[in-house]
Amino acid sequence: MRLLLVEDSVALADELQGNLSRHGYAVDWRTDGRDALYQAQIEPYDIIVLDLGLPGIPGLEVLAQWRREGLGTPVLVLTARGSWAERIEGLRAGADDYLTKPFHPDELLLRLQSLLRRAKGLPNQPTLKAAGLELDESRQVVQRGDEAFALTAAEFRLLRYFMLHPGQLLSKQQLAEHLYDGESERESNVLEVHVNHLRRKLGRDVIETRRGQGYCFTGVAR
Amino acid sequence: MKSIQGRLSLGLIGVLVMVGLITAQVSLWLFEAGLQRYLEAGLRSESESLLIAVGRDAQGLRLNPERLLPAYDRPFSGRYFRIDTPQSHWRSRSLWDAELPLPEQPGLHTDWRVGPDNQLLLVLRSDYRRYQQTVTITVAQDYTPVRQSFQRMRQVGLGTGAIALLLILILQRFTVKRALAPLERARQQIAQLRQGRRSQLDHGQAAELEPLIEQINHLLAHTEDSLKRARNATGNLGHALKTPLAVLLNLADHAQLKAAPALRQVMQEQLRAIEWRVGRELNRARLAGDALPGARFDCDEEIPILMQTLAKIHGGHLQLCTRIAPGLQLPREREDVLELLGNLLDNACKWADATVLLTIEAHADALHIGVDDDGPGIEPSRRQAVLERGQRLDESVQGHGLGLGIVRDIAQAWGARLELQTSELGGLRAVVSWPLGHA
Repeated sequence: MRLLLVEDSVALADELQGNLSRHGYAVDWRTDGRDALYQAQIEPYDIIVLDLGLPGIPGLEVLAQWRREGLGTPVLVLTARGSWAERIEGLRAGADDYLTKPFHPDELLLRLQSLLRRAKGLPNQPTLKAAGLELDESRQVVQRGDEAFALTAAEFRLLRYFMLHPGQLLSKQQLAEHLYDGESERESNVLEVHVNHLRRKLGRDVIETRRGQGYCFTGVAR
Repeated sequence: MKSIQGRLSLGLIGVLVMVGLITAQVSLWLFEAGLQRYLEAGLRSESESLLIAVGRDAQGLRLNPERLLPAYDRPFSGRYFRIDTPQSHWRSRSLWDAELPLPEQPGLHTDWRVGPDNQLLLVLRSDYRRYQQTVTITVAQDYTPVRQSFQRMRQVGLGTGAIALLLILILQRFTVKRALAPLERARQQIAQLRQGRRSQLDHGQAAELEPLIEQINHLLAHTEDSLKRARNATGNLGHALKTPLAVLLNLADHAQLKAAPALRQVMQEQLRAIEWRVGRELNRARLAGDALPGARFDCDEEIPILMQTLAKIHGGHLQLCTRIAPGLQLPREREDVLELLGNLLDNACKWADATVLLTIEAHADALHIGVDDDGPGIEPSRRQAVLERGQRLDESVQGHGLGLGIVRDIAQAWGARLELQTSELGGLRAVVSWPLGHA
């Protein structure tokens, strides 16, 4: 999951970046409103976390500008201004959720998770279910029936992305764009290695290879 | 409290009645005195002609009847005399069987009554010397018709006076009403101000009122400005405090601290206490309460947006219903109302299974805001505790905690009452109600 974090407090951004990365998000971080405005339009983010008190351009204006230009990415607003009047203003400007500071880190993760599900039209349940598999995002464990499989961080990221797009053809480039942040090396064979690891754990047919096109997650059991 | 109109009317009536009565009485009295003096002159010439009628012959003094007026012969004609000399007495035939008493002193006397008609007499006694004898002549005239016409005059005068008074009062009422119209307009505008239908008083009503209106407008603007500045300042302070708090809360979750659970727990508890307190106090500092008389909340405009916002936050599984009369306006500051409704509805949404209902009812004397949900509700025995401490009943679901605390603060600032009841939907019903007369 590609995530854009826009936050001008370095200390908080550091903390969030670490925490979000541990939970399988590929995080790009911007501190300035003007940078953020531009950044969200050149990379295909899955979700954006936006602070409202930004230098450059105020967060609300950045958000309104994105929406005017047709950017549909779900945005979670993160702010110290928690009154309902301000909350309504934020949501009217196009935010999808509103989290007031200070917040518990788990609360942020839960909100992001449910926002992503809602954006994909999936029900808001504690686990992500697709094609007979059940993914527990907090423990990074996948289950099929009674059988549980532990996942590495890279496998978790990949499987979550697949499970949010079941039955869809995903090109290698698309996968790379959504799984790695802007500073990582994107080598296609790394992706292949992780796909193979997943197949070894969950069965060959879980992920189909379409030659020259990419992968398709079917989730079919052995 | 007495009205200015009432005081003016009462004062005017008092002065007019007093002056009118005194003037009328004094002029009547002067007129009567003048008339009596005129009649006295007539009586005097009358008694002189009687003196001439007194002649002398061999037997002594005698009265020559041919020289008398015919009115002295007709019984109770209204004109009488008696003549007393040391030897003889004469009285007019008109006296018939009545007696005309002799006044002790010469001069004019009033208020004598004589005869079967009980005639009121004006009596003049004059003493003369004729033929070396003292002749006392007393003439009298019936005064009743004069007195009666005076009485009639007095009645007519009183009637006219009363009608004039009534006319003056009506005119005065009209004039005063016109003169006080700016005051009445100001009164209505202040009422509108309190109902939130106006944010300023109009200028140019009357020179006398101008300083007052200016001062009120200035105070209104000042209050609004202070509120804005206070909100801005609390917002900045909140931002400055909450971002570091967020960092600390995230730090407390760090892997290194997870190795020392006791330390971590203390840290988290203390951070939560700070968070709770800061949130509560900053929210309280933002309240306008009822300090802003011109404030109003337009339900038609604001409620749909609030409901959309809540639907966005809580997803599509909830049915959010409203029951509000169209065009309803609440005489309270917008952000306060949004904060109150937002928190109540947010709580309801967190606990509801399927339905949340917002009701706003304006009665003649009071306003009621009700928020219903079909969730598990709160036991009647625990409701008071929830209200008093604003505590969280269930740590896993945020809310019914800080949210209700803010709601209670707002209600208190408004002079409103917050109550928790059992909803018809099966869950909790939170009711905020306040009397409309309260400014």
